[in-house]
Amino acid sequence: MPNMTPVHLDAGTEAKIQEIGHAEILVGIPSFNNADTIGHVVRAVAGGLAKYFPNTRAVLVNSDGGSTDGTPEIVARASVDLGAMLISERQHLLYRIITPYHGIPGKGSAFRTIFEVARRLNVKACAVVDSDLRSITPEWVELLILPTLNEGYDYVAPYYLRHKYDGTITNSIVYPLTRALYGMQIRQPIGGDFGFSGKLAAHYADKHVWESDVARFGIDVWMTTEAVANGARVCQSFLGAKIHNPKDPAADLSAMLTQVVGAIFASMEAHENMWPSIRGSNPVPLFGFQYEVGVEPVNVNVERMITSFRQGLTDLRPIWEVMLAAETLQALLSAEHLPAQSFHIPDEVWAKTVYDCAAAFHHSVLNREHLIKAMTPLYLGRTASFVVETQGLTTKESEDRIEKLGRVFEQVKPYLAERWGAVKEVRQ
Amino acid sequence: MKEFLDTAVLEPLETVATRIVHFLPNLVASFIILAVGWPLAWAMGRGVERGLRMLGVDRLADRIGLNALLTRGGLKPDPSHLVGRALHWALLALTAVGALGALNLAPINQLAAQFLGYIPHLITALVILIAGIFLSNFVARATLITAVNANFKPATTAAGLARWGILLVAFAMALEQLGIARNIVVVGFGITFGGVVLALALAFGLGATNLAKDYLERQFGKHEGRTKDDLTHL
Repeated sequence: MPNMTPVHLDAGTEAKIQEIGHAEILVGIPSFNNADTIGHVVRAVAGGLAKYFPNTRAVLVNSDGGSTDGTPEIVARASVDLGAMLISERQHLLYRIITPYHGIPGKGSAFRTIFEVARRLNVKACAVVDSDLRSITPEWVELLILPTLNEGYDYVAPYYLRHKYDGTITNSIVYPLTRALYGMQIRQPIGGDFGFSGKLAAHYADKHVWESDVARFGIDVWMTTEAVANGARVCQSFLGAKIHNPKDPAADLSAMLTQVVGAIFASMEAHENMWPSIRGSNPVPLFGFQYEVGVEPVNVNVERMITSFRQGLTDLRPIWEVMLAAETLQALLSAEHLPAQSFHIPDEVWAKTVYDCAAAFHHSVLNREHLIKAMTPLYLGRTASFVVETQGLTTKESEDRIEKLGRVFEQVKPYLAERWGAVKEVRQ
Repeated sequence: MKEFLDTAVLEPLETVATRIVHFLPNLVASFIILAVGWPLAWAMGRGVERGLRMLGVDRLADRIGLNALLTRGGLKPDPSHLVGRALHWALLALTAVGALGALNLAPINQLAAQFLGYIPHLITALVILIAGIFLSNFVARATLITAVNANFKPATTAAGLARWGILLVAFAMALEQLGIARNIVVVGFGITFGGVVLALALAFGLGATNLAKDYLERQFGKHEGRTKDDLTHL
């Protein structure tokens, strides 16, 4: 559906776009109070563009949400020592557009402005990178841009090495669910750093989703599913370790979960003619030189997560009875009294739990925001189960466990189709 | 003596008998209205419910999101049943008014007229109550989920307080609309609400010192002594 409200760009940005006229590459950086890290990100991007695309007209766009810590000023000032990178000459200047974004505060709204600038400049290839990255190198720019520019791919998803307990929403919900739904093994569907064609950027900008969760944390998974569902050629690029500033500690887990899972479930509705017929999944081409890397340790409080799950079983049971199938709830109840060291929610039970929630969302058996927020203790229970199960395992072994979970999601997919199609009788 | 009997006993008896004879048809008419109206109201309610079901109104309500709205408000998502029951009770009320009117007694006629004039207030009060029930269910559920996600132990108590607080307000507003003891309602509500707030303040201050301390520490970033948790979810 075409977007009804045009993207508002301020006069300065419009003037800058007029001045630049046309570019081949655009790298976007969304930001909000990232003064600590954004200088490094800008230098890495500038270095990468100078080193790998020296003869190409490139633009760096910083879409800022009203930072008060001087983030835009740092973006404007940051410069990279090309000599130290053994780059003798850069043929074209790197243009910089530093612009505020409008709309609902969030990463998605920032991206919307970046998509619009990409469209106005008629770029061939784009990349977006997070502004809180500490591990970004100039090579990331090459790996995110080159598959689109030279190999004809439309969408480049990142492939990182992460600690086994880093990105647990990705590992337990987003990866296995998108893999089973769309039949593509995209390991980091909400990685945050992507490459895509200018054509796809224009497609994103035209969509009327900017008043929903997509405007916030839902943007990453929406971009991935939108690309896959529209038949884009998708690949992955190995970027090494992803080390970034911890998310705002005040950020509410259930709000994050609502935005990400809400965006996935909404995409399921938007593409419900496509995903039910897909069986199994296929690997997605992976570019880049793969290597082992040490990742930062992650402390986990399993007891706290199990306590949340148990409180959910006690207090939220009437709500879970509406959301979940009776057999699924029964299976979850059997984990209630397990001691912490042997706490376990089996893969199949978890897959059915997620599928039940998706079907409940589809049939609106509850207010949708309430429904996804009520998933929080379930998610924490499953995360605790994963942590208990993978304690002492290497990153590779833990990764195998996540792959196994992905296969279970695929095997149980007929259950989703059945639940999705059935109108559930709501128990009062 | 005969004259006395005629005046003191027979005449009043004759008057009463005449009145009864005149009143009897009204009474019979009233009974007939009740006898016909009551089952008719029941049958009409059931008939409309079945008719709506056969016409697929429930499916339509599901498609346009009305069922979801009812569910969100904590009501059974069965619009056919709800319409049938509403019609049943409305017809029953009209039957009662009609039956009373048929008696053709001045005080009752006056009462029936007052009742008819009261109906708009009754409907407004009903709408306030229904909206209150919707809102209280919605807010109670939101409170419960938020409290559980925040690991707040008395989550169900918090949700119950939210529910009953809103119901109390709705009930007070409905009573005020009905004009029932306005001052008592306002004063009663004020005392109850003030009492609840005071009780909560005392409970939080005396009984939940640790919770308050924990909350303030979290607000001001003092996490010493807490088990560290670096889990990143995205």
